[in-house]
Amino acid sequence: MTTSIGLPHFLIVGAALFALGMVTVVTRRNAVGILMGVELILNAANVNFIAFNHYVEGPGKITGQVFSIFVIVLAAAEAAIGLAIVLAIYQTFRTIDVQETNLLRE
Amino acid sequence: MRRTSLAEVPSNLRVYLVRLAVLVAGLLVFAGASLAHAFGLLPTALTIAAQYFGVVAIVWGLNAFFFRTVALSWFTLPVFSAAVFGVLFLLGYFVQTVAGPFLIDSTGRFIGLVRLVDLIFYAFAVMTIAGAAGCAFSRNIIYSAWSLLFAFLGVAGLYVFLGADFPAVAQVLIYVGGILVLILFAIMLTKQIGEDPKLTNAHLALPMGAALAAVTVGTLAYMAVMAPWQLTPAPSYQPVSAALGTAFLTDFLLPFEVASVVLLAALVGAVIIARKEIKEHLDSVLE
Repeated sequence: MTTSIGLPHFLIVGAALFALGMVTVVTRRNAVGILMGVELILNAANVNFIAFNHYVEGPGKITGQVFSIFVIVLAAAEAAIGLAIVLAIYQTFRTIDVQETNLLRE
Repeated sequence: MRRTSLAEVPSNLRVYLVRLAVLVAGLLVFAGASLAHAFGLLPTALTIAAQYFGVVAIVWGLNAFFFRTVALSWFTLPVFSAAVFGVLFLLGYFVQTVAGPFLIDSTGRFIGLVRLVDLIFYAFAVMTIAGAAGCAFSRNIIYSAWSLLFAFLGVAGLYVFLGADFPAVAQVLIYVGGILVLILFAIMLTKQIGEDPKLTNAHLALPMGAALAAVTVGTLAYMAVMAPWQLTPAPSYQPVSAALGTAFLTDFLLPFEVASVVLLAALVGAVIIARKEIKEHLDSVLE
């Protein structure tokens, strides 16, 4: 395959994903929005894992892909728990604005 | 009597002239450092330092004309300058290495836009980054969630591009089919922030956040381009599903089992945290 695409291209895409996810986590006031930012950051990590697996680890080795599958599994668990916590916060405070939910009890 | 000295012109105009002079000086420093580096007169580290100081001067000078409501302090000026410098660096890199191969062959012959594989990569990359940007900057949280769909699909396309077929399918099934649906449910089950449905996704300190993102991208992209990676000579595009299954049941058996226990615990925990009746029952038991 003749292509000029190399490892830096994927790393730059991963960096952009990570930075945008970080902005989402840092600046959002909606708790669901913050969880979306976390998903973006995990995706950025996965892109880097698979890119390094492809361009650095070499043919026949798949450790990077195995790790990316574990990251996806943990992201699914994190999304389920995180959104359940958001629902619990909503039932307690009637809002999911992270500026206003500053107590650990009612 | 005509005003000849700079000290005699009105202070507002004088401020503008000083800013303009600093702006021109910054542009000259930037262009001079770039040219000197191009002719091999200046080492790379010195060039970058000189260019950064030029950008600081340019940003300070331009602040008199654009974004005048943003007051630049001793802290925000270097940060914004670093952001601008990162964007300029990325632009320069893309013009050199991205537009270059599209237009000119290795022998210097013009060949036009022929590399279809590259075009597909850029389509997926733009889709991913645009989706992530929509998620980060949209003012409506529903739009944010739908932008996330494009980001996830674009990442799946990048996985295919990297010869990772199983992670690509897992990405589509788990992220698009599972997590995104979960997020949409959570959005619809919770009340939106504020009364305005158009502003359900409010931001805090967005300019600083954007500057932080630009600095991060600039730093990481510089590192990704400049680092001497130990690349493999011939990356393979063989299917990996069978090898992945073997790896999970041999080398990674313990992490695999732990992951399934974690998933079970997360499932039970999510039900207990989210269900109202169970929570009320627990509360009554605890009291």
